[in-house]
Amino acid sequence: MIAVTETTVETADQQITIELPRFGTCTYAESEVLTFPWGLPGFASLRRFLALSLEGQERFVWLQSLDDVSVALPVADPWQIFPDYAPKLPGYATTSLEINAPEDFTTLCVIVVTSEAVEMTMNLLAPIIVNLRTRVARQVTLETGGYSVRTPIPRKATPAPAGA
Amino acid sequence: MLVLSRKLNQAIMIGDDVRIVVVAVDRDTVKLGIEAPRTIPVHRSEVYEEIQRTNRAAAGEPVEKAPEAPERVRVADLGRSRRTPPKP
Repeated sequence: MIAVTETTVETADQQITIELPRFGTCTYAESEVLTFPWGLPGFASLRRFLALSLEGQERFVWLQSLDDVSVALPVADPWQIFPDYAPKLPGYATTSLEINAPEDFTTLCVIVVTSEAVEMTMNLLAPIIVNLRTRVARQVTLETGGYSVRTPIPRKATPAPAGA
Repeated sequence: MLVLSRKLNQAIMIGDDVRIVVVAVDRDTVKLGIEAPRTIPVHRSEVYEEIQRTNRAAAGEPVEKAPEAPERVRVADLGRSRRTPPKP
């Protein structure tokens, strides 16, 4: 009985395989797609993204656009690099994303790697907040805390993501 | 672009629930008061443009060609990787 139920669920959420210019073949389910209804600043027309993990680089996540597969941004959990990071989410963020409790969401910050991977910075001013229940996401701008869009990442903290 | 002249303490309405008041004028600086619902983000344009530039820099040049050495890639488990922010 249980096996039959599981089969039904899998049919409802079929695995989709796509070819990504940056990473190659990737398989995902529609239920895993992140939606950015307000777009992503700089990529306003892109709404659907996958959060991808590369083997051996689990500290990074790549936000891979499904609307334009040539676009992917490296992001990471900010606390693995900046343990004291204390963002206070603005009212519009929690309201629009329907966030009521800390377990409702996860926080990802955009990483910029300079051309020779000499320096890496993290955008602590505008974290991407993902509602884990609805998979709706939005990059929000903090109104307090004095954080920078390009906070230097200490060199020893983490190696640069491959492909950047 | 719609251009309106306003004097000190005069306001404009944008839609039914956004109100912008001229609070002070001093030489080349105008102070504006903004009343908007909590659901609407209000920011200086430079901040938003800086975030746009940073996102474009993070994405780098669009990658069109198939990779020579494909990565082993899977959908990240965001729930598992999530760290609870430290208590204030």
